[in-house]
Amino acid sequence: MSQTAATAGSVPASTAVPSEQYNYEIVKKFSIAAVIWGVLGMAAGVWIASQLAWPFLNFDIAQITFGRFRPVHTTLVIFGFGGNALFATSYYIIQRTCQTRLYSDRLSLFTFYGWNLALILGVFTYMAGITQGREYAEFNWQIDILIAITWIVYFWVFLMTLLRRSQPHIYVANWFFMAFILATALLHIFNNLQVPLSLTSPHSYSLFSGVQDAMTQWWYGHNAVGFFLTAAFLGMMYYFVPKQAGRPIYSYKLSIIHFWALVFLYMWVGAHHLHWTALPDWVSTLAATFSILLLLPSWGGMINGIMTLSGAWDKLRTDPIMLFLITALSFYGMSTFEGPMMSLKSVNALSHYTDWTVGHVHSGALGWVAMITFGSLYHLIPRLWNTKIYSLRLIYIHFFLATIGIVLYIVSMWVAGIGQGLMLRAFDEYGNLAYTFTESVVFLHKPYMVRAIGGGFFLLGMLIMAFNVAMTILTAKRTVPVADESRATAASAS
Amino acid sequence: MSTNENPSKKPGQVETTGHVWDSNLQEYNNPLPRWWLWGFYATVVFALVYWVLYPAWPVGGSFTKGVNTITFMQDGEEVTTHWNTRSLFAREMQSGKQAVRQREMLEQVGAMEYETLLADVEAMSFVNAYAKGAFGTWCAACHQTGGGGVIGQYPNLRDDHWLWGGTTERIEETLVLGRNGYMPAYRESLDGQQLEQVASYVLSLNGFAMNDTDVAAGGEIFNGYLGGCYQCHGADAAGLDSQGAPNLSNNIWGLVDVPGAANDEERVARVARFVHQGVQRQMPAFADRLSPTEIRVLTAYVHSLGGGQ
Repeated sequence: MSQTAATAGSVPASTAVPSEQYNYEIVKKFSIAAVIWGVLGMAAGVWIASQLAWPFLNFDIAQITFGRFRPVHTTLVIFGFGGNALFATSYYIIQRTCQTRLYSDRLSLFTFYGWNLALILGVFTYMAGITQGREYAEFNWQIDILIAITWIVYFWVFLMTLLRRSQPHIYVANWFFMAFILATALLHIFNNLQVPLSLTSPHSYSLFSGVQDAMTQWWYGHNAVGFFLTAAFLGMMYYFVPKQAGRPIYSYKLSIIHFWALVFLYMWVGAHHLHWTALPDWVSTLAATFSILLLLPSWGGMINGIMTLSGAWDKLRTDPIMLFLITALSFYGMSTFEGPMMSLKSVNALSHYTDWTVGHVHSGALGWVAMITFGSLYHLIPRLWNTKIYSLRLIYIHFFLATIGIVLYIVSMWVAGIGQGLMLRAFDEYGNLAYTFTESVVFLHKPYMVRAIGGGFFLLGMLIMAFNVAMTILTAKRTVPVADESRATAASAS
Repeated sequence: MSTNENPSKKPGQVETTGHVWDSNLQEYNNPLPRWWLWGFYATVVFALVYWVLYPAWPVGGSFTKGVNTITFMQDGEEVTTHWNTRSLFAREMQSGKQAVRQREMLEQVGAMEYETLLADVEAMSFVNAYAKGAFGTWCAACHQTGGGGVIGQYPNLRDDHWLWGGTTERIEETLVLGRNGYMPAYRESLDGQQLEQVASYVLSLNGFAMNDTDVAAGGEIFNGYLGGCYQCHGADAAGLDSQGAPNLSNNIWGLVDVPGAANDEERVARVARFVHQGVQRQMPAFADRLSPTEIRVLTAYVHSLGGGQ
């Protein structure tokens, strides 16, 4: 870090304590919310995975059955855990890389309450059986409006902060965040164009119908993956990986090229979720080919992240946060290879409607999104509270629990999905389908048990993280009065 | 990652862009990795080839058709069209290896009389294979995989006890038209004691040693005006398959779980409760859902399960 510290002199070093120069309060709030939603969302996931393995766990209570609890799980992990982590890191990163305070404390606080209120309302409405029936957009129309307003305010805060930057250039992480915020606004609004039954009813009809409706849904659904779960977390990666490694980003040129390729290509590929349906064939072709074209641009981010560490690989031996970040990039590379393969129609004919899809999503969601978030939060939280992490050892334990959990999850879902796909297309000697659907369900029982156990490992890691974070914050609160000044200046210099 | 082969790309020897953020964030300006760039070009070539072969780009109100074609039969004529999934499916069903084989077998079996079919080992081997899927799809939801049924709800098809007749003709009729099973509830016409007497009578017919007075009283109700049970079940309770009325003297229990009862008292209580409630159940008609050949295959399959007559 010494070589870079010299160049840092060209930037006028701020004399203010970071916690005063920047709005850290909002970042703290979102960070804690991310951890809490993470615990709840992953617990919900383990619960529904267990229900699939052992259906008696339904207990005949409608509110906790798979159908109602699945959107609770997806909403809490994507928008609760992932969303709050993105708010936290984007607000942190934009302030630090633009060297300016957030445009408005009150508006950013509004985004915190708006976003989390929507999540709470979502949980209760789903359990009450109120849903729009659109995957990853199950919120009913009133909550949709709350989210839209919150998001536009988020966009405004981010944009105005960017405009007030005291740095001439915009750091790469912020390009990704800006793309994510803009695209998500677009996706959310157009996918939720609904005609309400009445002003007081939570129910509504989609403005689109038939195949157009399905295409709108998957244009949204896949770009939620593309911009929310990929581009935004790449923004996170582009800050925390070089920070944690203490090394410059590998290639500025690569970051530009893969950024534009990624944001341009992602918008085309959603229809690959609808292969072999009523979709026109030319739409399927475009979706499949653009998915293949997306492979290398996706890998651009992985290369840039992993190569940033090149020359400092020894850090992997001593730094568990680095382990999280690099493992995340590896899973990112793996799932962005698997995705384009699955979007080819011939592969899709086998994989679609099987648990292979579920496994693929989770290799991205657990392997990439959650791992990069864990690493980033472990880096971020001690700095926010001006302290050290409570236990480095617990970070190691979290890392290994999470990795074991992911491997069990992905492998069991490959077995389940590919087995299921092969069974459903197998013929006997007379040209009959060889298996009944029920037989494929019977086959799934064992992989489902392994999946639930894998999820349990992952959840256990998350609980350890929550404990570690809570202890870090509590310790910081006890020691702050003494150490505030010295630690703060030390942190700003590092 | 063979990007390190070029020494000029080694970190530290390449210029950074000169920008610094947050005191130490910088960027090298390494060139694009060659393998990455060529990999991307390869995917572009892949996409271009794909677009030439298959329907791809919308143009006005239509789309580029691609050079691939499909030939298949439509209304008795051979048609050649650009590649598309609907024609692909039609061709697959017309000339695909599995589809052709299955159709040949179905035609062969569809043309056979039941008697010859049931005696033909090769044909029955096909019937069993085909019916496994068809039964699993259409029948197993009620009759369960393998046809064992559920006591109290759905008939067991594996034994030789038939509600509506076990000949191939009657089984086929059951599949084509469906069945409505009905026994009236006796809660209005019989009191608690009378219900127990009827129950004792029925149980005695099945070899259970019951109280003689009860059996005698129950017999009078069963075979008399008050109960009128004999009208469907027959005077000797041997059943009447034109009514779907079961034989009550063979100790086979489809609707009342007598074998599961612990003692005589509980057996009487269970039968009495059933007579008190009566039953209505329905098997749907499959005439509009399955082809005559599929019904023939399923009939032969069900007949062969355990006790065709």
